[in-house]
Parts: sequence; C-alpha cells; structure tokens
Amino acid sequence: MAALRTLLYLVIYPGLLFLFVYSTFCEWFDRKVYARLQNRMGPTHTGRFGLLQPIADFVKLLAKEDVVPEAADKRLFTILPIIGLAVVSTAGLLLPVWNFDLAAPGLTSFSGDIIVVLYLLSLPTLILFLAAWSSANPFSTIGGARVLTMLFGYEVPLFLAVLGPAILADSWRLAEIAAFYQAKPLLLLTNLLGFIVAVIAVQAKLERTPFDIPHAETEIVGGTFTEYSGKKLALFRLTFDIEMVVSSGLLAAVFLGGFPGGAVIGFLHFVVKTLFVIFLLSLLRALTSRIRIDQVVSFAWKFLAPLAVLQLLVTILLKGLLS
Amino acid sequence: MNFKIPIGPQHPALKEPISLRMTVEGEVITDVDMRLGYNHRGLEKLAEDRNWIQNIYLTERICGICSHSHATCYVQGVEKLMELAPPRRGLYIRYLVSELERIHSHLLWLGVAGHEAGFDSFFMYTWRDREVVMDLLEMISGNRVHYAINTIGGVRRDLDAGQIAKIREGIVTLRKRSEYYFYIGANEPSFVARIAGVGFLSKENAVALCAVGPVARASGVARDVRKDDPWAVYDEIDFEVATADSCDVLGRVVVRVKELLESYKICEQLLKSLPAGDIAVKAPRKAKPGEVVSRYEAPRGENIHYIKANGTDKPERLKVRAPTLANYPATVEMLRKGFIADIPLIFAAIDPCICCAERTVTLIAAGSGEESVVRMSDLRRRAIARHQNAPVKRNAVWPL
Amino acid sequence: MKIAVFLPELLRHLFKKPATVDYPFKKLEVPKDFRGTPYLNPEMCIVCRACERDCPAEAIEISSVNEAEKRFTMIIHNDRCIHCAQCIDSCPTTPKAMLMDSLFEIADDDRHKMKKDWIYVRAVLKPKAAAPTSVPQAAEPKA
Repeated sequence: MAALRTLLYLVIYPGLLFLFVYSTFCEWFDRKVYARLQNRMGPTHTGRFGLLQPIADFVKLLAKEDVVPEAADKRLFTILPIIGLAVVSTAGLLLPVWNFDLAAPGLTSFSGDIIVVLYLLSLPTLILFLAAWSSANPFSTIGGARVLTMLFGYEVPLFLAVLGPAILADSWRLAEIAAFYQAKPLLLLTNLLGFIVAVIAVQAKLERTPFDIPHAETEIVGGTFTEYSGKKLALFRLTFDIEMVVSSGLLAAVFLGGFPGGAVIGFLHFVVKTLFVIFLLSLLRALTSRIRIDQVVSFAWKFLAPLAVLQLLVTILLKGLLS
Repeated sequence: MNFKIPIGPQHPALKEPISLRMTVEGEVITDVDMRLGYNHRGLEKLAEDRNWIQNIYLTERICGICSHSHATCYVQGVEKLMELAPPRRGLYIRYLVSELERIHSHLLWLGVAGHEAGFDSFFMYTWRDREVVMDLLEMISGNRVHYAINTIGGVRRDLDAGQIAKIREGIVTLRKRSEYYFYIGANEPSFVARIAGVGFLSKENAVALCAVGPVARASGVARDVRKDDPWAVYDEIDFEVATADSCDVLGRVVVRVKELLESYKICEQLLKSLPAGDIAVKAPRKAKPGEVVSRYEAPRGENIHYIKANGTDKPERLKVRAPTLANYPATVEMLRKGFIADIPLIFAAIDPCICCAERTVTLIAAGSGEESVVRMSDLRRRAIARHQNAPVKRNAVWPL
Repeated sequence: MKIAVFLPELLRHLFKKPATVDYPFKKLEVPKDFRGTPYLNPEMCIVCRACERDCPAEAIEISSVNEAEKRFTMIIHNDRCIHCAQCIDSCPTTPKAMLMDSLFEIADDDRHKMKKDWIYVRAVLKPKAAAPTSVPQAAEPKA
C-alpha cells in the first residue's frame, strides 16, 4: 500500500505529471507577460488564451525526427536529457509545499535539504556542458565553454544570497526556514538585497536574457542545443521549464515566507508566489539586452558577489542583535 | 585552440546567405575569409532583355528594403540618356518617397541591431513604429514594399491634400518615438556595453578601404552624395550630414538616428514647398546611344548604376554597384581582433543588403572580344601586381 | 549610467492593448488605390497590346485575335503577376480598360487555377464609327 502511494506521489502529484502541467503553465505565463510588455499578443488560439501552446510545442517536438550526428558520443548524447529531467524533478520534490507539517515530516524534508536543492540545481549546468562536449560541433563546443564560464560567475552569489536567510532562521531545513519567517514576517524585509541578488543569479542559471549567451541564437546557432532535435530537445526544454519552477519555488520558500496554511491554502500560496517570482524574471528578460561572456563574469564579481557578502554581514549583525 | 568557425551560408544571424569563415583563437577572431555569390540572380543579364519600362520593375527587385533607391538611380540615368526633364512636382514626390524609404530602412535597422544584441523589446518597439511609415507608403503608392512610384519622366501617382495631412501627422508621431529611441539606445547600460568600442574602423582605414554611407560617416568621414553632388531637389533643401567620431557600432547607431531626424526635416520641407503642376512627361520608347553613370544616396550608402544604350528600346548594359559591396573590405578589417560574440553586431552594423551586392565581373578581351568570368582572388592578384610599380596619379581625370 | 531606463515604458505597455491584429480572424482595411490583382473591362479594350508589351513578368497573353468577328482571347496569368500596375498605366483608353482591384489573398495550391481567361468581342472607339460594334456578349471570365 505504501509502495503504491509512493508511486502515485512520484508520478502524479507532486511528481512528474504535476511538474509537467505546472511548468507548461508557467512557461505560458512567462511568454504572455513577455509579449504584453512588448505590446504584442503572445500565444493565442491554442486552447483558451493560448494555454495549451507550450504543451503543443512539446508534442510537436516529440513527433519530429531525432538525428544523432555521426561523430557524437551516442550513449552520452542520448542519456543526458533524461538525467537532466530526473535531476530537476527530484529537486522539485524537496520544496516545502507538500511536506509542510513540521511535526510529521515526510521523507523529503530533512535538515540540510536546502543544500541538496542547490546542489541538484547546479547539476543541469554540468549536464549542459557534457551535452555540448558530446555533440562534436564547433558551435556546441563554444556554447559548452561559455556555460562553464558563466557558472564561475553566478554560482557563488546565488549560494551566498540563498544561505543568508537560512543563517537568520538558524536552520538548514527549508520547512523550518519558511516557518520561522511565517512567525516573524517583518524580518523578510531585511533580506531584500539578497532577494534582488538571488533573482539576478537565478536568471543567469536559467540562461535567459541578459545572460543567455551560452545558447545565443544570433551568434552560435544554438550553442549546446545545436545538434539536439526531436525527443531529446523536447526533454531538454522541459528540463529548463521545470528548473524555472523549482528555482522560483526555492526563492519563494526562502525569501517570500514559504507556503503556510495546509494542503490547499499552501498550494495556492505556492502558485501565487512562484508566479510573482516568474513575473520578475520575465520583466528582467524584457528589460535588458544580452551581455558578453566576459562582461557577465566581471558583472557578477564586481556587483553581485559584493552585494551578497554585504547582505550576509547585515544578516549576521542582525542575528547578533536579536539574540 | 585555433580553428575556423563558419558563419553562413545558413546562419540565424544572417538574413541572406553569405559565407564568412572566421579563424578564431579562443574568443578572438584573427582572420576572415569572405565568400559571396550565394544570392546571385543574373539581374544584369536579365536587364538586357527587357525594355526601359520593364527594367524599372526589375531594378526595383534587386532589394526589398532599398527598392526605391535602385529604381530611382536607374530612372535618373535613363532620363539623362533620353534628355528628359521631369516636372518639379514629380521630382518632389519622388524624393519624398526616397526620404520615407530612408526612414523605414533606418527604423528596420535599429530593430535588427537590437535583435542581434539580444535586446528584443527594442526590436519589437521600433518595428511597431515602422508600421506608421509602411502605412504611409502604402497610402501613397499602393504597396508596402516595392513602391514602384517611378516612371521614366516622373512619377505615377499624385498626392492629394488628405494624404499630405496624414504624412505630416505620421512624421510628428515618428519624430517623438525616434527621439525616445535615441535616448534608450545611448543610455541602456547592457545595450551600450554591447555596442561601445566594438567594430572599430579608424578614419584613415575608412577612407583607404572606400567605406560608404553611415559606416564611413560614423568614422568622421563626412561623405554624403546628397551634399557632395546635389541633384534635382537636394540643392534647395536645408539639411546636415550626420557624422559621429567614435568609429564603432555606437557611432553607427548615433549616425542613423541623426539621419532619421534629418529625414523628418527634409520631408517637412518637401511637403511645405510642394509645387503644383504635372507629375510626369511622356518618355520616348527608344533611347539615343550613349552611356551614363548615375549616383544616389541609398540608406546604406552610395549606389552607382552604369547604363549603356545603343538606340533600341532595351539597354545594352546595366551595371549596379550597391553600397554594401563597397563596405565589405571595411567589414573584414572591423572583424579582426573582435570577439566571436560581436560578429553579428559588427556585421549588422554595416546594414548588409547582401542581395544588392551579388554581381559578377565579366572581362572582355579588347582585341579578340572574347568574354571570361574571373574569380575575385585572381582579379585582386592581377590588380596588386599591376599597381605595385605604377607611379602615383595626381589630379587624375576619370574618363567617361 | 542609468539602471533600467526602459522600465517605465515597459510597465506602461502591460496595460495597453496589443498592437498586433489577430489575422486571419480580424483583417485590416487596405487603402484606396491599393495594387491588387488586374482585371479587364472588356467594353473599352481596343487590343492595342500595350499592356502585353510592357508587363515585366509576361503575365498578359493576348491570342486568337479574330478580325472578322472581332473577338479576342486574353489570359491574365495571376501566378506570374507582380502587382506593379504598369499595365494600367500603359493602357491608352479613357476610361481605362485595364483596372486594378484590391484582392490580395489569392494564394492557391495549383498555379493553373490562378490564371484567368477572358473571351471578348473587341470594342472600336474611333469616333467616326457610326455605331459601336461592341457587343459585350460572352464577356464572363472563364476561370
């Protein structure tokens, strides 16, 4: 019986099927907001208001021919999208939405799970680099090199920024951090600087403008994705969508006070807060133009990292004052 | 690592096929090998089979964005051959459409520059405002692209008072939006970081490599055919040549936006002093034998057409030298020592209209009259060998 | 160096109507004198063949001119037409025999379906002819 329930959890809610449906909804929201900011319409006509458009894109990609280049490493080339999808879905299981009850935590809420989520979210970058390397194409090689170079830029500020509120809340467990801020909501304002740094760093992790240089369409055709087509490309795009949902869920849990109120109200909190973070990400995407790779690294180390360190100092001082 | 990256012939950064094979070391470009010819359509040969009127439409279709430039340059030349003097009103309407085309082309280019830099919001906004000018052109000429308003001896359609009022309104809207884009283009930090200092072409190189149009003007070379060699209405209109001194892509953006603002001024002056009268004179079907060289300032630079007539109703030879072709050597120089990430921007900054530039050179041996088609690399070698030992010509007179 | 100069304009657009038209469910009006497809007004045509001579795309074909019965066939190849309206400018009659309408959605899968045949009886416009011999019978286009 317990095995059947676990299987249902893994496949339906909060597992693969829920993540698939919710991430396509978030992609629709992102595309619609981006279009409205640019005075256009965005997806329409497929389903009411174009809601089914991302699912239609996914299905179309599944139906296309899947070409593997001859010089590529076939096994690595094929297995990497599946590993990417598995990694981000596992990270999704650790969000404190469905394991909110501190007294009776499920298997997926334990001390240190914030570190596990951050680790699982940095794996897709390495998977992208391996995908580029195994494609044996000069455009992909450049894309892969750029992916790793960008990793050196944004990873440290992201970690520093996300761990700041954890230090104030005195715990490494997402559900406890969320509960701490739900009890004292005013302390959320002290983390504002960290929130801004984290939003910019998450934009870089998701490789969206202004940080979409690794797969810049007008320069290197597709970067890491140049040789991918058909089902593998569909799985990669789904991986990026789910990564967007999980990252915004992480930011909402740490900076916006989590998802209180039980199963149904908590789920509504989850939807509203993740859509707010995604709205900020879309705004950032429409606002700027793409910057070069050397400019990304210098921007990250000149502005983002010092601001994250400043936020840490503020947090530590505040903790000393409070105790 | 030192390897070659092929940009083109099929590439998302290019709107048309051209092959640029870049030798790179890391992210820095060391050399560029440019290959043309993927878009060659044999237009100069087709022009020899059609009569003077049909050729207006053929030359118009050399390019979509600068269609009026090619048609006007051709019609100017044919009117000179047939010794026609088009009426003043016809000339005013013709050059009004020229300036409207310049506006539409520069707004298009601003959007393309934004898109190549990843600044998609800017791209969407400039193209939305370009619709104002496209609707005006559709109202004047009946079509949004390929206006076909020229005929030999004048223009085909007249403007009435309602249309003139709409054009004035359109220009007021566009002027406000262009000033806003000037502000954004020069102040948005991520955009300026991409375009400042990129694609450097010094003033000496711009002159030595024969750059034309906004590319030359952004390096401080104030060369504009409308001012150097004014014809038709341009000696009665008051406007300035837009230049910039920064010699990079930011300079080219600034020059094009300044040209937009000058074009609005020119349009308003043309509309204010539009003379009354006929719009065309009747043209004969045959042209007397002769040859003519016609120059015109297209949005991309100086456009040259050479037409030779032999007394029939078809031209004997039509040769087109489009401005983009003149900018290619300057592009190769700009790309050296740049980053890979800057390739699309540098290439887009010359406003490439590759289909304008695809022509062949046929060599005809003077003694025997036999024709041969020669490769560019052979021509270059022959020219270098010949001029290496020749003395420098001063005050040379161009024989035509 | 200003940060986010574009932001006020972007946020303002969230509340504006989009500038795109939902084609093909809504269509825009074309202006007067829009250059659509050419068609013939048979009563005025004097078969001078100026349109055939001046068409850049060889899209007008006049054949089987029968002097005795004063009939002629004209085929307009709409798949070759480049919509330049030179045929209308070259037509010497007043009012013109060659006219332009504003149809532009003429795409089809088969190029042969786009050609239009017209069989006419020729009109004579010289003023000294006592009665015009134009009998515009069989003037329907055979598509």
